[in-house]
Amino acid sequence: MAPTRRDIESSAATPFGPTLPRHKLSRRTLLKAAMAGMAAPGVATLLSACGGGGNGTGPTAGGETIPAPDNPVKWPLSEKNPIIESGQKIKPGSTLRLYNYADYLAPGVLKAFEKEFDVDITLSTFNDADEALTKVASGDLGFDVYFPSYDSLGRLIQADLLRPLNHDYIPNMSNVWPDYLNPWYDQGWQYSVPYTVYSTGIGWRTDMIEEDIAARDNPYDVFWDPQYRGKLAILDDFHTAMSMVLLRNGIEDVNTTNSDDIALMRDQLLELRDKTRPRVTISMYNDLPAGQYGLAQMWSGDAINAPYYLPKGQSPDVLRYWFPSDGKGMVDNDLMAVLAQGQNPVAAHQFINYMLDAKVAIKNFGFTGYQPPQKSVTAESLVADGLVPKNLATATVLQKFFDTAVPLLQLPATTDTEWHQIWQEFKAGG
Amino acid sequence: MADRARRPGTDRLWPLLALPGTAWLALFFVAPMYVVLAILFGTVDPILRRPIPVWNPIQWDTTQFHFVLVHIYGADPFFRPALWRTVVYVGVASLLCLVIAYPVAYYTARFAGRWKGLLLAALIAPFWISYMMRMLAWVNLLQTNGLVNKTLSAGGVFDVNVSWLSGRSSTVVLGLVYGYVPYMILPLFAGLDRIPKATLEAARDLGASRFETFRRVTWPLSRQAVVVSVLVTTLPMLGDYFTNDLLSGSPETSMIGNLINNTVLTPGQTGQAGAFVLLILLASIVPMVIYLRAGRSGADVMS
Repeated sequence: MAPTRRDIESSAATPFGPTLPRHKLSRRTLLKAAMAGMAAPGVATLLSACGGGGNGTGPTAGGETIPAPDNPVKWPLSEKNPIIESGQKIKPGSTLRLYNYADYLAPGVLKAFEKEFDVDITLSTFNDADEALTKVASGDLGFDVYFPSYDSLGRLIQADLLRPLNHDYIPNMSNVWPDYLNPWYDQGWQYSVPYTVYSTGIGWRTDMIEEDIAARDNPYDVFWDPQYRGKLAILDDFHTAMSMVLLRNGIEDVNTTNSDDIALMRDQLLELRDKTRPRVTISMYNDLPAGQYGLAQMWSGDAINAPYYLPKGQSPDVLRYWFPSDGKGMVDNDLMAVLAQGQNPVAAHQFINYMLDAKVAIKNFGFTGYQPPQKSVTAESLVADGLVPKNLATATVLQKFFDTAVPLLQLPATTDTEWHQIWQEFKAGG
Repeated sequence: MADRARRPGTDRLWPLLALPGTAWLALFFVAPMYVVLAILFGTVDPILRRPIPVWNPIQWDTTQFHFVLVHIYGADPFFRPALWRTVVYVGVASLLCLVIAYPVAYYTARFAGRWKGLLLAALIAPFWISYMMRMLAWVNLLQTNGLVNKTLSAGGVFDVNVSWLSGRSSTVVLGLVYGYVPYMILPLFAGLDRIPKATLEAARDLGASRFETFRRVTWPLSRQAVVVSVLVTTLPMLGDYFTNDLLSGSPETSMIGNLINNTVLTPGQTGQAGAFVLLILLASIVPMVIYLRAGRSGADVMS
């Protein structure tokens, strides 16, 4: 008796305990939802994690559930971290703890939320997703809301670090691009809501770099061009930076497990280091306007944000952003999720809902430069409203980008280790 | 008899007095060090690849330690350049610190006169501003259109376009010197200030020139202070990654501190950081021994 859709949904609405039949239910549900063979061993990992038996010696590597556009996953609901009950109010004067990248939330928005709901917000920040995951996993920092990328969502759920969302608190989800009501990485948005959408391309300043980068046959080549030695930067994110090397070579599988591709990627990454000595950082939105370098691998949101960091008197006309015109580049979205370790899940839900409000989302965008996937926001409206300068219109994200883009997925454990080792070698310097 | 009766009492007294220090050392050095070892030789959880410490030494797994050693000594020694850079940067920076700090400390101790108090306050002033703030200030000064380049170009007369922050070794070394020189001046001052003036006067009376006095009296008497101050600056420099991150941010200037920082934060590699910490510890034990020996022989001279 396979569970029907209704069974699954009803189980979603009520918190359930660790009873054996439920185990079977979630197991079957998952098997049904995740069609690929990879999911089957994944269940074992998942169940051992759910059962609280994660003593580190768990199932052998390879047993991971890795969602992908052609392998959408509906996660089972956590048993350890039940959904909160509907209709609760935020306790006045309580604290809401957020964990996010620096400068990735508008302070004005946080203040307004504090005032409206009478809570104190403390914001802690991290520099890269790896660091964040390590700290979140330690579990005792007590963050309520975390802003992960979708490629780490699977690990967060399988390690049982997230609390499933109670949709009653989040009516503003209706403002969001409809695709996100059933994204492949989290079917039925049980654990996450989208926060921002962005592409990864190349940003530069025409007053420091005379060449029109976009006019090159292969703009990625600039990162290997010795004339820009010491004048450029790449993103301090192993997957994003290394995928750029693959894309340069026309390899569209940016999650490759192919050893030839990985070897090529290593060689070229080390070659890049020797030829142009890039800075490896994520503070392009600040460094490029400040003139620390003139060219950088960049997230579109940082490009849009850059004008606000330019010195007084410097016109934003000098800024440019390139993204592959065939759309075969990296387009991603970041998420908001409620961490199980948080002490204030009600406020966490309210905050997520607040951020999805159309007006709040635009206000937040005005500070961060990262576009919210809101129905009311289009590339044209952003330029027309003066939120994005015309010369940076290339940095806006269209919904259709996601059809052609190459998604960064969670890498299988052994591949992930291999990639990380190359990144480690790269960062150790030659 | 009375003597014998008292001795056991004093025997108990001295260990008792050493107890707080011993407890402090056990709690804040030995125990954390054991945690580092337990993580270095521990395992990794399969989902998040987060380190799981293994407390029982019999079950220790040497994979991570081995990985680090192989990539220092083996066929593909990609960690080695960073280690050499650390030695060179820290060595050069310490030497420069000494060249700058010694005259300053010497002047303050010997010739400052009634300005001594004010000078000392000025020397302590850098400690009031956080290290990070001081480094961030340099980022502003050194950027391509920053004040340093503007000054060097003398207001546009010369065409100076040095990109100081583009991963230059010299910038990192100068950053280290700037950051740590205050830590060197103070112990040097303390040492130089304690040299009795009478000794110097005696040397001059006996016909030594100013230079001879310095070479044969002041310098030998200050040697212990020099060793101490060099150690006080060198050891923290060995683990510094922040100066490097801010002033260069390029892999081409990575030091061992950066290797530790990178591995600690990378899932599945955390244990390797422990191996690097061990390396630093071993490397710093040698100067420590030198310091202790210098302290012992110096004690006779100083008192």
